[in-house]
Amino acid sequence: MDNREVLVDIKNLRTFFYTEDGVVPAVDGIDLTIHRGEVVGLVGESGCGKSVTALSIIRLIPNPPGKIIGGEIFFHGEDLLKKNEEDMRVIRGDKISMIFQEPMTSLNPVYTIGDQISEAITLHQKIDAAEAKKRTIEMIRLVGIPEPERRFSQYPHEMSGGMRQRVMIAMALSSNPDLLISDEATTALDVTIQAQILDLMRGLQKKLGMAILIITHNLAVVAEMAETIAIAYAGKIVENASAKEIFKSPRHPYTYGLLQSIPKFTEKKTNEPLPAIEGMVPSPYHMPKGCRFNPRCPFATEKCREEEPEILELTPGHLVRCFHPIES
Amino acid sequence: MRDYIIRRVLGMIPLILIVMIVSFGIFSLVPNPFAALIENPRIKRSDIQRLVKAWGFDLPWYLRFFKWFSGVIRGDWGPSLLYPGSTARDVIARRLPVTMRVMGLELLVSLVIALPIGIISAVKQYSMTDYVVTIFSFLGMSMPSFWLGLMMMMLFSVVLKRPSGVPLLPAGGIITPGLEQAPFWVKLGDRAQYLVMPVFVLSFLSIGYYARYMRSSMLEVVRQDYIRTARAKGVPERSVINKHALRNAMIPIVTLIALSVPGIVGGAAITETIFNIPGMGSLIIQAEIKADYPTAMIGLMLSSVLVIVFNLVADIVYAWVDPRIKYS
Repeated sequence: MDNREVLVDIKNLRTFFYTEDGVVPAVDGIDLTIHRGEVVGLVGESGCGKSVTALSIIRLIPNPPGKIIGGEIFFHGEDLLKKNEEDMRVIRGDKISMIFQEPMTSLNPVYTIGDQISEAITLHQKIDAAEAKKRTIEMIRLVGIPEPERRFSQYPHEMSGGMRQRVMIAMALSSNPDLLISDEATTALDVTIQAQILDLMRGLQKKLGMAILIITHNLAVVAEMAETIAIAYAGKIVENASAKEIFKSPRHPYTYGLLQSIPKFTEKKTNEPLPAIEGMVPSPYHMPKGCRFNPRCPFATEKCREEEPEILELTPGHLVRCFHPIES
Repeated sequence: MRDYIIRRVLGMIPLILIVMIVSFGIFSLVPNPFAALIENPRIKRSDIQRLVKAWGFDLPWYLRFFKWFSGVIRGDWGPSLLYPGSTARDVIARRLPVTMRVMGLELLVSLVIALPIGIISAVKQYSMTDYVVTIFSFLGMSMPSFWLGLMMMMLFSVVLKRPSGVPLLPAGGIITPGLEQAPFWVKLGDRAQYLVMPVFVLSFLSIGYYARYMRSSMLEVVRQDYIRTARAKGVPERSVINKHALRNAMIPIVTLIALSVPGIVGGAAITETIFNIPGMGSLIIQAEIKADYPTAMIGLMLSSVLVIVFNLVADIVYAWVDPRIKYS
């Protein structure tokens, strides 16, 4: 249904952490497809494996304790998990870039932002220092930072969180990547700055045409940005569909629960408490038997407690991992 | 910055005066060295009284201080009680170069070895290398210098001999007598062989200390977000460590080094005694026991002034390594 070329194809990715207390299956069979120029949202609660998925794509899982133990990540048709470290390094920051949650600590405090952006440029492009500086200033201007020439020689501590995140974006996009991974990039910012950064990302995506994988726990963020949304729960994708479908007719009880718990300002004021998903995220050391969502699911049956559901395409482009999907 | 340095230098003057008064005051607790002479029937009472008066031991300590201090401001630090016939300044001048040679080399050798192994040990945390470094660090830190010195002497000056029958390394002293007329490089080589064992012993004791510091500082830095950012933009691992991590990890090490430098004039009494080195450490201890306050005060003041000066140096170097620090 999407005729665009497949850019990233993650198949049955499994990344486990081997800790002193036991094995944590942070990512346990995630499948995800990102097309060229597509904006995909990966949504889930803390600990559902969304950040680990992102770090697995660029192969920056801290090892030990983490290890990718299975699956394939095809990027332009080549399996990234089969590449050696040097080949991966060349891809990082060039074809695949990533921005992180904490703008306050993600930039090196002892180098100027100009240094840090032009480093990213000279690492991947054969250009001289003067040219790199010109490109850097262009990038600083592109991400909407005023007075780029002056900012070039400033240090991160001289900038606000929103400005630093813009610097991170400039750095990430400096080599025109095919894929930008945004790992909770707006979570630490206050709401108005968050909106500005999302606007910026959307604008740049239109201009530069890269695909974006937006990782967030915030449904509002993906509602604004993503064409396709994947909902992750306890290390697995439970529902994957176009953004429209997800918001209009969620099929998985977990997705349904998430959407129900968003306050709606259009409705009349009531004194009813906001609906919430009962229970807690399962402990990664003791995953429930059967469907991982079954202890919290209002529709769970005996089958859900015994067997693990496969992810199935219920309607074209709408994948759900559930025995009893909600009728649309 | 210039104003800051001037202000700090001016602030040193009262500080040095206070250190002077306090150490002189504490020093006056050492009993009058001439009192014991009364027991000797061959010395006349009047002679003893003359000595006591000449050295100011008939006065309360603060008046003795003023007497001594009025000489100091004229550049006269007084005669040495320990070495009659020499001034305290000459006594120190004979010892200081010897100590600075040994201790300077010790500091240099320790840092040159300890900083790289500390870095490697952190980068390869929990590897075989790390364990070996850790074991040798603690071995060095807990090693008694006299024991190690004696063992080395046994090995290199008693057991191992050159074909000519001369010990491989001289057991003690600083120079072979009778080489005064020899060419420069012969003298240099001669001095060098006397330095090998003491410098080795002292370095072995302190390498662990610096290496552990470097290791923990580096470990602290490599888990920072900006290190992940550097990796994510494709910086090769070598420059992730040497460029992005090291400069941040050096910030606390700067203080450590700056505060170690004053040790160069202090000497190491035990090692000096073992290797029969006429250095400052043993001199100051003798001067203190024998109430040779002019000599001891020069030693104390040298150390104190260096501690104060190198504190300022540390602060200046801080601002140079860490752009977040600004003095005004």
